[in-house]
Amino acid sequence: MNPVRSLSCILAIAGNTVRESVRSKLLYGLVFFAVLMIGAAAVIATLSYVEGDRILQDVALGAVRFFGVVIAIFVGIHLIHREVDRRTVYTILSKPLSRGEFLLGKFVGLVGTIWLQMAIMGAAFVAISLGTGAPLGAPHLAFFALTAVELALVVAVAIFFSSFTTPVLAAFFTGGVWVLGHASRELRDIGAGAESPWLAGATRLIHRILPDLESFNLSSEAAHLLPLTTSDWLLPVLYGAGYLTLVLFAAVAVFERRDLR
Amino acid sequence: MSGREIVRVEGVVKDVRPGFGLRRKRVLHGIDFEVREGEIFGFVGPNGAGKTTTLKILMGLSRATAGRARVLGCDVRETAFRRHVGFLPENPYFYDYLTARETLHFYAKLCGMGRARRIERVDALLEQVGLAQAADARLRTFSKGMQQRVGIAQALVHDPDVVFLDEPMSGLDPIGRKEVRDLILRLREQGKTVFMNTHILHDVELVCDRVAIIVAGRIRHVGSIQDFAGAGERQTDVLVARLGADVGAALEERFSAELRGVGDRIEVRVPEKRAGEALSSLLEAGAQVISMSPHRPSLEDVFLSTVEASRS
Repeated sequence: MNPVRSLSCILAIAGNTVRESVRSKLLYGLVFFAVLMIGAAAVIATLSYVEGDRILQDVALGAVRFFGVVIAIFVGIHLIHREVDRRTVYTILSKPLSRGEFLLGKFVGLVGTIWLQMAIMGAAFVAISLGTGAPLGAPHLAFFALTAVELALVVAVAIFFSSFTTPVLAAFFTGGVWVLGHASRELRDIGAGAESPWLAGATRLIHRILPDLESFNLSSEAAHLLPLTTSDWLLPVLYGAGYLTLVLFAAVAVFERRDLR
Repeated sequence: MSGREIVRVEGVVKDVRPGFGLRRKRVLHGIDFEVREGEIFGFVGPNGAGKTTTLKILMGLSRATAGRARVLGCDVRETAFRRHVGFLPENPYFYDYLTARETLHFYAKLCGMGRARRIERVDALLEQVGLAQAADARLRTFSKGMQQRVGIAQALVHDPDVVFLDEPMSGLDPIGRKEVRDLILRLREQGKTVFMNTHILHDVELVCDRVAIIVAGRIRHVGSIQDFAGAGERQTDVLVARLGADVGAALEERFSAELRGVGDRIEVRVPEKRAGEALSSLLEAGAQVISMSPHRPSLEDVFLSTVEASRS
């Protein structure tokens, strides 16, 4: 396999994926509501006499994460499913590129789209913060960087499930992984305190298998402008990159065996 | 048969599960055939016979349950051979927000073509398939026939040695069909091999060198068009006027004749070896014999009798 040729194929698929996804009305709808929610955070903050800035940033950063993940799940699953359902994938895979290159191209394109909408939400957040005089600093940058990695991981999980199941089930499973991925630390701690060794083992296993998505959550650090060390952001980035590589390998392995009907 | 072997299918079996929890159904029952270099090979069968499934296996889109399929000597699960292969799926769908030119550039990029070669090839192909005027219009504004032309152009974008076409005449008007037929013949002149799935037998007779008939997942016949034309019992058509109903019934019974009304006349088809006897009977009965000609079984005759035989 020629790496330059392979990269060219991946970029061609990725470029087309970005072009296709930015045409999605669903994406525009979700970004609109995300920006609206970030704007509403300023109104909500005025309801409190104390810590107005913190409330503003808590709500706004929460909106960024929530809408980011919803976009990652729905746009990711919808685009992969559509390629197979409309059979555009037939003509693409008849060309000299592997299914792995196709899936990787879709991943790069989808992540590009998600990061583009994150940039829009980030701009809205900065504008609201500056407008209301809320403080901004390096932790905010770290928050957006780690959320970007988390969303790339969610896209990889969405692609994995889309490679073998229906869109509804893929959305359900990906959403489930996201919820459990955020709750797995607490579940592990609850299990460890339980009397049943079976429960302790099961919750520990869930924590090990599922992505530890709380490691990407720096919203408290950002909202309180807490100081961060290099390892606070570097380790999650490395963990996320490693985990999403494994998930993509699994997705390619499954998609390679899939019969396209 | 001459030329290098381009496609070889050996004992290919395909089982599919129609739905979750349902039993597997066999759609291909160990099919075998081969396609040689430079020929136009027609793969003919009724709907649901397994034509598209076979083509998907050859393109690596679907995996055979058992058996072996090779294209250009490579296993169809490999990727490299597709550099030399073009494919037009049945009712192709493309990104409708792209123009015809953008679509072809996209596929050319996937084939690893450089910019200069891409521009030259895409322009030439748009001209060749009659889309030069609509090159910069978005595909969503295209008719089915125009989309089919885009499909043919993308199959040829990297100048492949072998072209697989699934129902290439689908959605085309008579002029479009003629143009595609001419295009296929030009491909043969250029030394390319064409594998064509279709159920339009007239087109097959006009362009194909060899044909395989598949019915219910089994290959029933493989041979040249000439083989098909000479297949079956030779018959003679006698066109007559003033034929009484009782005489017609007697001919049907005595000679196993087939009677068909042609305007106010009747065409009587009888086995060639008994044509003289039948002619005497007709003249004795006072029928007016207008013409008498040998009947060459067409591909359609062979196809219909094959399908009927396999159903019964």
